[in-house]
Amino acid sequence: MVFKNIVCPACGAACDDIQVELGDGTIETKNACKIGNVKFKEIVSSHRLRQPLINKGGRLIPVPWDEALEKATYILTSAKRPLLFLGSEISCEAHEAGLHIGEYLGAVVDSNTSIYHGPTVMGVQEAGKVGATEGQKKNRCDLIVYWGTNPLESIPRQMSRYEVFPRGYWTKRGRFDRIIITLDPRKTLTTEASDFHVQLTPNSDYELISALLTLLHGKIPHPSVEEITGVPISAMEELLYMMKNCNFGFISIGLGLSSSIGKHRNAEIVMNFVKEINKFTKFALGVIHAHCNVAGFNQVASYMYGYPFGLDFTRGYPRFNPGEFTTVDMLREKDVDAALVVCSDLISNLPADCATYLAEIPLICLDIVPCPTTVISDIVLPGVIDAMECDGTFYRQDDVPVYFEPFTGSPFEFTKSNEDTLRQLFAKIRKTK
Amino acid sequence: MEVLLITGSTIEEGRLAKGGDKFKAEYTKECAACWIATVDFVTLCSPEKVKVTSKNGKHSVVVYAKCTDSVRPGNVFMPKAIWTNVVVDPDTLSTGSPLYKGAPVKIEPTEERVLSAEDIVLKVYVRGQ
Repeated sequence: MVFKNIVCPACGAACDDIQVELGDGTIETKNACKIGNVKFKEIVSSHRLRQPLINKGGRLIPVPWDEALEKATYILTSAKRPLLFLGSEISCEAHEAGLHIGEYLGAVVDSNTSIYHGPTVMGVQEAGKVGATEGQKKNRCDLIVYWGTNPLESIPRQMSRYEVFPRGYWTKRGRFDRIIITLDPRKTLTTEASDFHVQLTPNSDYELISALLTLLHGKIPHPSVEEITGVPISAMEELLYMMKNCNFGFISIGLGLSSSIGKHRNAEIVMNFVKEINKFTKFALGVIHAHCNVAGFNQVASYMYGYPFGLDFTRGYPRFNPGEFTTVDMLREKDVDAALVVCSDLISNLPADCATYLAEIPLICLDIVPCPTTVISDIVLPGVIDAMECDGTFYRQDDVPVYFEPFTGSPFEFTKSNEDTLRQLFAKIRKTK
Repeated sequence: MEVLLITGSTIEEGRLAKGGDKFKAEYTKECAACWIATVDFVTLCSPEKVKVTSKNGKHSVVVYAKCTDSVRPGNVFMPKAIWTNVVVDPDTLSTGSPLYKGAPVKIEPTEERVLSAEDIVLKVYVRGQ
């Protein structure tokens, strides 16, 4: 049977034009990228986790659903300060359920934002973001700046679907009506597809943006900036000239800004730069999210508790202090004593000191396939694939909510969705504690 | 040799990770890799494998070496995966996010074995080898 306009749960682009042909144990997709295609194959893959597992003597043994939930409840209610890490490939509804559990338990609740784009969100808090939707970009943008990101490899359809190649109302010739500039310390597929590549020195983003701001204000930056950034002032002037003279410019920022020295200050100054350049022409800024519903957790947590990530409920009310209540810092300082990881291979993304401690404490993992995190888990709960097997809401990377409907049902009798699993777990927790 | 480590996505890393193939040899081949600038690669005597060590010398990981012109001399690139995170500094500079890009590390040729993702978890993280 063929299903159209299915939402892809692979990355932040949340493409909603996927065509799926589901057969008996087979699945074929159209319009999906290389990454999205394999995500859809998961639904029929042989390595899918299909039953709850408990670690006994170093081996994962199948157990009944109720037993797994009881054990998970025991771990979470026995802990003094559990960590709930709600991954980004689950719906906002599941995030909401997880946040309620965290508040009830007095836990720390966090998501992928914390590890990757947390500094960018902090930059938004500092400076404010002049944003635009993907539709505005498609119809209006005639200059795109990719700063510290490689979307052709992390979000393969981002350029073809939204920003670079599509024909928009004011950009009728598609790619030919747009100038693409990429700032990246290395050559990538994206830099090859760009008109200009500025190969700056790693950790010099702040200095380069400061120099551009100086030039924007009509002054010449100190010559030492050339040595620091590896970019001649003449190239900065040329870059700024193109930016000032476009009709509608857009800066897509990636982890190159927030994960290098400067962190949230890099994000802050680039947002201030966008505000300043709006005195000359229309300009906006957005974030590239390589994971699906990263923006969703920020939205849901902010709506419910006022903070976008790294929420600590230990005192009974939410507290937010990045660097203290965030996953990496909590694990590094050994400040949590149990963890629930939902749809995220957390251990693969943590520095060694944090991963080692995560391997020491009781760990419950909810996931769809075996991964390094399931190897060290005490309990593994099988996950339902959002956007394929259950409905819900994702936030696209431009903070636009996308409601998705499934084309098949949950493969399990004991749960309808990850949201359902978390609500069942919450019900058991409330009976116990 | 002291270099700056840049980590990031590659399309094959994304395809294998999203496809749930993190225990496959193909994933190890793609992600347990260090892309080194040609000049630096020749200086290291064109090694097949390199040991990447964190700045404080506390953690190290063995990965395949790959010669490339995509990074400048003095910089190396590793796909974001469990191997690169072994040497990433856990300090987040009060932001929650580690320094995934631009962190100083040391690289040296080695003949040691490249561990699989599962071995990294069991031997390095669980048993502390």
